[in-house]
Amino acid sequence: MILETIDLNGLQSLYALSNRLNLNEVFPNKVTIWKIRNNNPSRKSYVNNKIKSEEFDALIKITVEMSRYLYPYIREILLSREDSEKDSFVWNNFNRRFMELINERFNINCIRVKKLLNPAENDELLIKSLLTLSLCSSNKGYQKLKTYLFNF
Amino acid sequence: MQNKLLFNQSSVSLEIKGLPDLSNNENKDQISIISKWKLIIIDKPLIEGKIEHLEPIMEAFYIYSNLFINNEVPLYESKLIDIKAEDLNRHNIVLKSSKADVDPLVIKIGNSILSDIINCFDQLNESSKVRLKKSDIFINYPKKVIFGFDKKVKFLNFILPPLISICSLILISSTLIYFYDTVDNKEKNELLNTN
Repeated sequence: MILETIDLNGLQSLYALSNRLNLNEVFPNKVTIWKIRNNNPSRKSYVNNKIKSEEFDALIKITVEMSRYLYPYIREILLSREDSEKDSFVWNNFNRRFMELINERFNINCIRVKKLLNPAENDELLIKSLLTLSLCSSNKGYQKLKTYLFNF
Repeated sequence: MQNKLLFNQSSVSLEIKGLPDLSNNENKDQISIISKWKLIIIDKPLIEGKIEHLEPIMEAFYIYSNLFINNEVPLYESKLIDIKAEDLNRHNIVLKSSKADVDPLVIKIGNSILSDIINCFDQLNESSKVRLKKSDIFINYPKKVIFGFDKKVKFLNFILPPLISICSLILISSTLIYFYDTVDNKEKNELLNTN
């Protein structure tokens, strides 16, 4: 969701990257990616598709590739949040769009989603998620992100 | 003549100087014996040292970032370096000199510089031109992974149906007991009334 907040054409980019990484067998079209995304129980369109391990691995590879490609933007958002004296225009823009996407796609009656929509509570989650993505943009990002996810 | 390699990421550069190990028939542009390194951060004091300082500093940054992200206490302390979170966006680094008369160097960095530094260290770790004791902090998966999410689902599938059936049995039988008691009581009341 964070990557989609930064990249306005998120699903298209995810599909293009899956093609570039030769993951056509796992994700033959955009619908398969969309279905996998819907495994999140907090989504409005939640469907339990029982994600397979190769799909999970492929999603991590795409996420790492996308965070590498979006690194300058992720860095700029983190930088914008650091200086509290300056007007953090980039951060506010990112936060607003994130909220819009959550409202549009997630079940807002869910307690977890309510926390995401609360500006006082979502700061930590957003900053740590952005930092995690920025730290996984190296060649060994796949192993790193997998380890972070299993430790989560 | 020493070899020099630069690893750059946005506002951070890591410079490595050293020599190839020619006795091992290595290429001339390889660095196996690191003599000096510099970590250059824009608008911050220069961090430099010998090879014996580089590996502990790299490890400190890797461990600290891991602690910070995993919601554990974001504090790393050692003889050489301390890293502590000031808040969600700022981190304090204290570099201690091995010389007694030198004051510790305090540097404040944000999340953006922290990720730049880690990415520079990653580039160094992944470089084939520098021979270094590779950091494997992120390659070893935690024990949780051994069980995997697939097996967890299977375990739940295994345990949930009998659990639900036992619960429903208890519920149904307790309701039946309630009904049985009332019928019995009514009969007793009727008998009492007739008497």
